[in-house]
Amino acid sequence: MSFIVLLKAEYMLVYSEVMRRKSALMAIIIYPYLFAGLTLFVGFSAGSPQSFVERVGIDPIVFMVTASYMIMAITTGVDDILWRPLSDSWIGTLVYIIASPVNKLKLFMAMPIPRLTLLLMMGFTSILPIYVAFYGLYGVSLTIVVVALSAIGALVMTPLGIAISGLMHVASESWRILSIVRPLLFVFLGAYYPRMFMPLVLRLISYSIPSSYTVELVQRLLIGIASIDIVVLLGLSIALAAIYVPLGRKSINYWEKKKVREGVKAH
Amino acid sequence: MTKAIEVRDIIKRYRVKKRLGILKSITEFIDALKGVSFSVDYGEVVGLLGPNGAGKTTTIKILSTLLLPDDGEAYVAGYNVVEEQNEVRKRIGIMLSVEKGFYGKLTGRENLEYFAALYGLDGKRSRERIDYLLKLLELDKLGGDYKLFEEFSLGMKARLSLARALLSDAPILLLDEPTLGLDPPSARKIRELVKDLAHRENKAILYTTHNMFEAELVCDKILLINKGRIVADGTPQELKSRIPKLKVITLDIRGKGSIDKVLKDLEEKYEFKEENGIYEVRIHVHRPEEVFNETVRKFINNGFEILSARIEEPTLEDVFIYFSEGSS
Repeated sequence: MSFIVLLKAEYMLVYSEVMRRKSALMAIIIYPYLFAGLTLFVGFSAGSPQSFVERVGIDPIVFMVTASYMIMAITTGVDDILWRPLSDSWIGTLVYIIASPVNKLKLFMAMPIPRLTLLLMMGFTSILPIYVAFYGLYGVSLTIVVVALSAIGALVMTPLGIAISGLMHVASESWRILSIVRPLLFVFLGAYYPRMFMPLVLRLISYSIPSSYTVELVQRLLIGIASIDIVVLLGLSIALAAIYVPLGRKSINYWEKKKVREGVKAH
Repeated sequence: MTKAIEVRDIIKRYRVKKRLGILKSITEFIDALKGVSFSVDYGEVVGLLGPNGAGKTTTIKILSTLLLPDDGEAYVAGYNVVEEQNEVRKRIGIMLSVEKGFYGKLTGRENLEYFAALYGLDGKRSRERIDYLLKLLELDKLGGDYKLFEEFSLGMKARLSLARALLSDAPILLLDEPTLGLDPPSARKIRELVKDLAHRENKAILYTTHNMFEAELVCDKILLINKGRIVADGTPQELKSRIPKLKVITLDIRGKGSIDKVLKDLEEKYEFKEENGIYEVRIHVHRPEEVFNETVRKFINNGFEILSARIEEPTLEDVFIYFSEGSS
């Protein structure tokens, strides 16, 4: 079964949902600004921009806008994987998906790509104006690099997302677990709270998340880093994602078997 | 030739929690299927007929690879439903719910395109198949091409659901109460189509319903299922002929007396329904001529007025009551 066929179907599904549900489209456009604005507001209220620059090495506005964008891209990709089994179950489509001969791993791999594409495009309305304001023309090329790295960051997260999704949805009321998993991902990605400041235990968990390397890479890029780091961090990110692929496959098979053992509800 | 569907001694037991308080509960087991066996050939519509909770949907779900049996064996197109799930899935089309199971913000056509992709259909092949199905089910005339699923009427939803079952042109169809809640024209359309699919396209169709009239119209063979057991099987005529001596005294009565008191005294099996103060009582008897006068008198003596009284041949519903009460 072709991955492209599934991807096209997912594009149609997601884009119809987003474009025909105006509130969803508005949320996608507004969310990065809202998120960055809120964090900056809290940041400026609690501390001074100078101390932020001294500690982190980047202007807080650039840092927060970038962090919000990357978080949005990465978690949106993972969200699709984490939420779809639930929403399909509520809508009543899950039963037909499970009863079809589709390769479930391929389907889950295709799920996050359409919304991710949309979000990546949003980079040109959210981070581009800020980068141009701060860095001039260099901001344009920087935007392209950050968008590309966000795409990689979201894609390398897919296998881990599938592994978590498969394990999570065998539990009843898995949406409760999901509301815990999501903020944890926020923290461990190190986008708002850079990994270098994390306690050792948190840092070790963060190292096990493939996207955290691309987040770190972007942060270093904004500060100014040696080129060797790019290769190492990207390599680690992709290698870790590859390790999670078999785990994702097993997890999704386990979920499907468990569902069938209990009986998939047709509603 | 391999049977399209072959089920041997399937047993399914559900675990249910019985709540005895906020924190206290006990686990009980309910036998949904108690050793069900049957087979379906290509080119025939087999009806699985029974009341709610009889085990119809459980059977369909096991055959659709959506539920594992606890014991017994089931084969679809020669493939084991437990061990060869993917092979089974390639060969079945299912319809489990009329109302739900589609994406609300997609049109009928787009929904079919999405599900076609799950079966590996794409491009021209998918488009042609969907065109054909929209036309076959007359969804093209009803706006299935451009209306969002959330704007569909129940009849349109049912048609779309059947179209999805037919998307991959599977040789075996498993249809769970496909006409439930539909208006007469939509129900008739689906019934006609189901018969055509079996007889013209040689598909094997397992069709669950609790509508006796429908079963008699659509099915070549009927399996009566009650409390997890097949209590009788055969063609509608065969089933009726297996209770040759059974007749039905049907009385339409009106009155203020206690109908329960009269019915309690009857020795025969009966059922009754009430509409606008008029009761229709159906009493199953072997020698109606011997008990007719006495039965009518009982109702009159208890303050009922007899509006009409007649002796009828048994319907499939009577057959069902006859066999299912025997089984319990």
